[in-house]
Amino acid sequence: MRTKHLAAVALLAAATFTVTACGSGDGGDAPAAVSEQTEDKAATVIDQPFEKPDMVLTDTDGKKFDLREQTKGKPTLLYFGYTHCPDVCPLTMSNLAVAKKELEKKLSKAELAELKVIMVSTDPDRDTPEHLGKWMKAQDPSFIGLTGDFPTVQASARTLGITIEAPVKEKDGSITSTHGKQVIAFSPKTDAGYVIYNGEEATADDYAKDLPKIMKGAKP
Amino acid sequence: MTVRGTRRRTALVCAIAAGAALTLAGCSGDGDTKASARQGDGKPQLSVVDGYIPKPALKDMAGGFLTIVNKGGADKLVSMSSPLAEETMGHRTVGQKMQHVKSFDIPANGELDFERGGNHLMFMDLKELPEVGDKVEVELRFEKSAPITAELEVKEATYNPKNS
Repeated sequence: MRTKHLAAVALLAAATFTVTACGSGDGGDAPAAVSEQTEDKAATVIDQPFEKPDMVLTDTDGKKFDLREQTKGKPTLLYFGYTHCPDVCPLTMSNLAVAKKELEKKLSKAELAELKVIMVSTDPDRDTPEHLGKWMKAQDPSFIGLTGDFPTVQASARTLGITIEAPVKEKDGSITSTHGKQVIAFSPKTDAGYVIYNGEEATADDYAKDLPKIMKGAKP
Repeated sequence: MTVRGTRRRTALVCAIAAGAALTLAGCSGDGDTKASARQGDGKPQLSVVDGYIPKPALKDMAGGFLTIVNKGGADKLVSMSSPLAEETMGHRTVGQKMQHVKSFDIPANGELDFERGGNHLMFMDLKELPEVGDKVEVELRFEKSAPITAELEVKEATYNPKNS
């Protein structure tokens, strides 16, 4: 069991560190160099959990948000994405929003209020606190959006094995941004990140099924 | 003819990727049609299926998905537009990055897929925020074939045909 978990983590780490972008956006024929490993399973429990990043950013009210301090002892789901993202970021956050609604049937409001769902912007120039706030509110009013200095975001993501690149303005004026692939669940008991979800594969049902356990720091 | 060279190059890239046992989002659809990509002298016969738009959160932008099925020779998708948006374009997802792509190859007797995790349509600056159940028209223009107007249904933001 241990070996399997470690292997999965190694794969995931390898995948996240070797994302290679293709071409320069100059046409449909540019060869695509992709070194993405497919991890079809929705959730992976890791044996050597990640430390919660020491990250101080700005929330959607424009206030300072210290991740470690303000989520200490709370079950926390962390995702790195951006609002001008057409596919995976809104899919991931909507799945989490639907899962949270499911939980409303099982948990009290007070219990549910413990859960912190956070998206950290990987496109902070466009994701101002105000703009990010509108987008997050459309997903779920309780969700937390954080934005700030890109190098800080990038460095924090890296400690979790998530590689993101700074947004690039293309010749045609469009902006190429990067999002993370993973949602990382942090335990309320240890504050460590111990479950990794593949944001593209995990469904609202997957999260809804696991969250009651994650909220207690148990393995899903 | 450039089309021919291009096609060979794409097939080669896919072959390399397949050899390395990788998932190649940018070439999705091409893999199945490597054999038939040698042909392509006939007229393309295109149709559009499975189109949808996950309900966007804001009017900034929306993503869209569809499949172009080709029962004839190769073609290219060269541009698109929609009354929903100021600008509509095709994007390719490579790793975790989105990139604007000017034209997409449609292989002979194959498919061009815009699907979650791979290529997608990008609607920029929406004129209104569409609701679930709305139908959105997109005009797709091709190198050889006549334009096709496809109707994309607005679905829940969580909609993913792979999981439903």
